[in-house]
Amino acid sequence: MVLRFAEHARAIVRQAEQEAEEAGSPVIEAEHLLLAMTGEHGSEARDVLASAGLDRDGLRAALDREFRQSLSAAGVTLPAGGLPRASGDPARQAHLAASGKVVLERAVKAAAGQRQIRPGHLLLGVLGAQAGTVPRALALAGVDQACLAARARQALERGRP
Amino acid sequence: MDVMEIRPDADPADALAAVAALRRLADQLEDVAVERAMRAGWGWPQVAEALGVTRQAVHKKHARRLIAAGVTLRRR
Repeated sequence: MVLRFAEHARAIVRQAEQEAEEAGSPVIEAEHLLLAMTGEHGSEARDVLASAGLDRDGLRAALDREFRQSLSAAGVTLPAGGLPRASGDPARQAHLAASGKVVLERAVKAAAGQRQIRPGHLLLGVLGAQAGTVPRALALAGVDQACLAARARQALERGRP
Repeated sequence: MDVMEIRPDADPADALAAVAALRRLADQLEDVAVERAMRAGWGWPQVAEALGVTRQAVHKKHARRLIAAGVTLRRR
């Protein structure tokens, strides 16, 4: 059976490309998919993230902290105002990075046996990571990743047609 | 900037995250530095040599966005 993306899930992947571009990244990472979820109104992914106090600004702040803290382990300190921005390529199409591909693979697995891949499945795909930027940022934000995944599963269960 | 201080005894998770963050930082710094050089009138061969990569690589990576940004590019 071929799984299809629900409209909300498709919108998240599209928005993630935008997030990558805004972050100056040539590829779509897992964190860009997560950022996109915080803005997707009417999706269980956004609701679950909000229930943990994670809105777009909060998640961005956590990701920024993670970046700065990881750099500090190598003795690098960023200027307080952040880095200067380079001009982007308006015609560029961002591709999925390895971390982004894994999110989609996990989402497909999480949606097995169901009609569609929904935002909650994408969220489970992001939360399946054991290491990397997202788990570190969530820990810095004081969010319990396993608890968040459990809530995502509950929300999917409730919203099941 | 603080004195560079690599911690050889860092926790593996921190050490790996540092590598990932440094790669990201290097990419961002490259975008900014190449744009500034080209705006200052550098040519592709000089930028490529300064970065230690081929001219083709630097051109492929940066030409389109710099043209879109209206940067006047030298041919040589």
